[in-house]
Amino acid sequence: MTAILRTEEVVVRFGVLQAVSQASIEVIEGRVTGLIGPNGAGKTTLFNVITGLQEPTSGKVFFEGKDITNKNPFKRARMGIARTFQKLEVFGSLSARENILVAAEQRKTWDRSGYDTSKVCDEILAKVGLSDVSEFMVGTLPTGTARLVELARALALNPKVLLLDEPSSGLNEEETEEMASLLKTFVDDGLAVLLVEHDMSFVMGTCEFIHVLDFGTIIATGTPSEVQADPQVQAAYLGTETVEEAS
Amino acid sequence: MRFKVSPRLISALVVALIILFLINKNWGGASVNAKTISSFLVVGIALGGIYAITAGGLVVTYATTGIFNFAHAAIGCFLAFCYWQLTVKQGLPTLVAIAVTLLVIAPAIGFLLDRVIMRRLRDAALVVQLMVTVGLMLTFMGITLTIWTPKTGRSLPQFFQSSKGIQFGDVTATWHRIITVAVALLVAVGLRFLLYRTRLGISMRAVVDSRSLAGLTGAKPSIISGASWALGCMTAGLAGILIAPETGLVVDNLTLIIVVASAAAAIAQLKSIPMAFVGGLIIGLAKSFSAVYLEWGKDWAYADEAIPAAILFIALLFLPMARLETGKIRITKRTERLTKPWEAALGAGVMIALVGAWANGWIPWISGTNFGERSAVWLGRGAGFMVIGLIMISLIPLIGWAGQVSFANYAIAGIGAVLFSHFGGQNGDALGIVWVMLVCAPLGLAIALPALRLKGLYLALATMAFAEVADKVLVRHPNMLDPSATGVLFKPVNFFGITISSDPSDRKAFLMFLVVTFALLFFMLEMLRRTRWARRWIAMSDSPAASATIGVNLTTTKMMVFMLSGAMAGFAGCMFGLQRGALSVDSFPLFAGLPLVLLLAVQGVRYPVAAFMGVIGLATFPALYEVLGKPSWLSAIELIGPGIAAIAMAYRPEGAVFYSGRDLAGLLPWRQDAREEKALAVAKEREQNIGKDEINDMGLTRPFTADKVAQLDRVLDITDLVDEHKMVPTGGAS
Repeated sequence: MTAILRTEEVVVRFGVLQAVSQASIEVIEGRVTGLIGPNGAGKTTLFNVITGLQEPTSGKVFFEGKDITNKNPFKRARMGIARTFQKLEVFGSLSARENILVAAEQRKTWDRSGYDTSKVCDEILAKVGLSDVSEFMVGTLPTGTARLVELARALALNPKVLLLDEPSSGLNEEETEEMASLLKTFVDDGLAVLLVEHDMSFVMGTCEFIHVLDFGTIIATGTPSEVQADPQVQAAYLGTETVEEAS
Repeated sequence: MRFKVSPRLISALVVALIILFLINKNWGGASVNAKTISSFLVVGIALGGIYAITAGGLVVTYATTGIFNFAHAAIGCFLAFCYWQLTVKQGLPTLVAIAVTLLVIAPAIGFLLDRVIMRRLRDAALVVQLMVTVGLMLTFMGITLTIWTPKTGRSLPQFFQSSKGIQFGDVTATWHRIITVAVALLVAVGLRFLLYRTRLGISMRAVVDSRSLAGLTGAKPSIISGASWALGCMTAGLAGILIAPETGLVVDNLTLIIVVASAAAAIAQLKSIPMAFVGGLIIGLAKSFSAVYLEWGKDWAYADEAIPAAILFIALLFLPMARLETGKIRITKRTERLTKPWEAALGAGVMIALVGAWANGWIPWISGTNFGERSAVWLGRGAGFMVIGLIMISLIPLIGWAGQVSFANYAIAGIGAVLFSHFGGQNGDALGIVWVMLVCAPLGLAIALPALRLKGLYLALATMAFAEVADKVLVRHPNMLDPSATGVLFKPVNFFGITISSDPSDRKAFLMFLVVTFALLFFMLEMLRRTRWARRWIAMSDSPAASATIGVNLTTTKMMVFMLSGAMAGFAGCMFGLQRGALSVDSFPLFAGLPLVLLLAVQGVRYPVAAFMGVIGLATFPALYEVLGKPSWLSAIELIGPGIAAIAMAYRPEGAVFYSGRDLAGLLPWRQDAREEKALAVAKEREQNIGKDEINDMGLTRPFTADKVAQLDRVLDITDLVDEHKMVPTGGAS
């Protein structure tokens, strides 16, 4: 299996602070890859590097074998990289449906398959369970629902890789479970998912492969059980209790 | 090794070549010797000091409050007049007067501004923040002009006017100028020290980054932000007192320094006080260089005035690109729905009917006055208001949807009007309007181009600078407006059998033509709001980062909206020309363009109907004057109107149209949804307030003890309910 998306020794420095140092990760089609680590480990920064919102100090990002390190964010989106944000970045003064419509219409600029934007919209709304609130301004929706709008908006691009930044925050237990099963359907369709998450049981239950970041450095990679067994990971981040709880 | 040419280097070379070319072409022939050099330097540095003080104050206010204060120079002007009152009029000693002005009046204004307005603007949209300060600027100008009417000439003596100053070669640097430069330098160093080395200064900067986090350090955010505004007003006053003796106590001159100071502040990237000082010096030296060595020729007699704007535009080219920030979006909890096509058509119809009824005298209750009788004068005025309405509506997609705050549209309309007098308006050729629109669309884009990749604030600065240049330089070129050609520039234009012109006999037809066009544009915009274009603009404004990550090319998306807005402003300009008939070089001052953006913002810049409300707003004061005579209280209200608008915006940032729409939509028979929503909101609010009064009555403070909670339950009469759910420990409830 070759990676559809990978980063090669990415370094991001803010002044004296090294937010990410030499992080190399791989994301593979048809499975959920986890990116975990304590607060401030550099997960979101790495997301920003991959999507082009943050220029790396050094290192490279490859997508489908092509070096995209110097590409604009919008060009990366057009290649097939979509994301959600840790802190909500919805279009608050548009309705939920319009949020998705903007993305579906935008896709027309590079996707010539002649799909019907309105139909795509309705399908995705139904898929993530937003049909009931589709006409509400997103600014008035609760955080959990707005998070789903972000997810739906990313899906409307019909991406090849989906980067999700803490999709379960703001969701209740039930919604988290729904999210997990939703992710399963995505990867079954062949989508590659990269997931940043704090909810350990969610991560361990959904991800097939995990990268662990600590102080900007990848300290472990492997399957959930491998990662949990890694003493470095336990020491740096998880702590024995969490591991037990998750397994 | 591969040789890499940076785009910056290329731009720097190109800019340098252009400057050299301009210098070479306009060289005045003054020989470069010790004499001219010393006069260039002495004048330039003195002028630079003036700009530097104002720019330093602007940067400090921005760094400590997060708000770019367009009223800065106007406040300085007001304080300079206060100082004049104290010294020249009341005869107080200079030092006492300075102390009273800078240590009492200025901080008082600062604290008051913070308390009443500025505190509420922290999370407001950029357009609200900017328009509030623009409103304050107009208010301070108005107040100053009322208290100290310009009929009497006033002047402030320079410091140490009687002594001679220091001789540099043949040029004397007066003590006043030396003091100005020294104070500018001291202010730069002192403010820098204050902000980076003192506890207060660090807290001030911290409050801007995160109010809540700064609160954790023990600093009290409300006092800190008050202190920041007090400090800002003190620097403004200091600048005003030092500048006024040089420029004269003239409100316009003192207030317009804001445009120059903004350029210096942009060079400082709005954050570095030492660089603001350098920026001020650069502009001062450039102006003095031009005065000493260059001769612009009679066609470009006013090119001097464009120097600060040119420097601003050059600075913008070299500023680092703005990062697409995340986690900063503002979400306003508001509900609204898209206007349906038939509703928009109905709205357009109502507009036409209202204006038509007035123009034909079907509204009886104001008859007996010129307004009610619709004299030719009033029909002309009505057309004038509609023209301004056309300019306002051109801002809806630009500011309201795409979030690009531009002050240039009035100037673009002005240029459009002038162009129309060459492109067909002089022969009554309606096709000329199309040509004008085709020129104004790329013009709107060109103004915005340097600022496209930067923060929104820079666009506001650039467009303001452009408006000033258009007024002072562009329209004054003889090929644009021939100063000798006075009188009517435009022949009547024929539209499908309707003759429109400034002729008294054509005015009613013209007014009706304008309102129909306006209504069509309104309808068009409401329909545009339902298309992918408007959606994309709004998405871009709501979250640029998210837009980019769904594949939106932000640059081209912005370009589109600037072109649309420019073309609409160009059309408004043609109507402006036809309505006025004649144009003069001072038809388009910056200060005439600002109030209309303010008026629109107060109404709600997202909603096309706001432009019509703006037209009604424009007509209100003249109409009231006509009906009531001219009572002085009304003039006073009109004068502080912008200030009232500014305060209103701080409390009602979404604009009057939104709030009245929310409250009134339920009255429409077909808006069941609005009624339900209102009921829901009322119920929600009531729920939140349950127990609030009782808590106050009992004098409860947090943390609640179980006993107090139980007491509250009893007062609220919900003890049983609570017991049932076991929310309170049983011991407390008994």
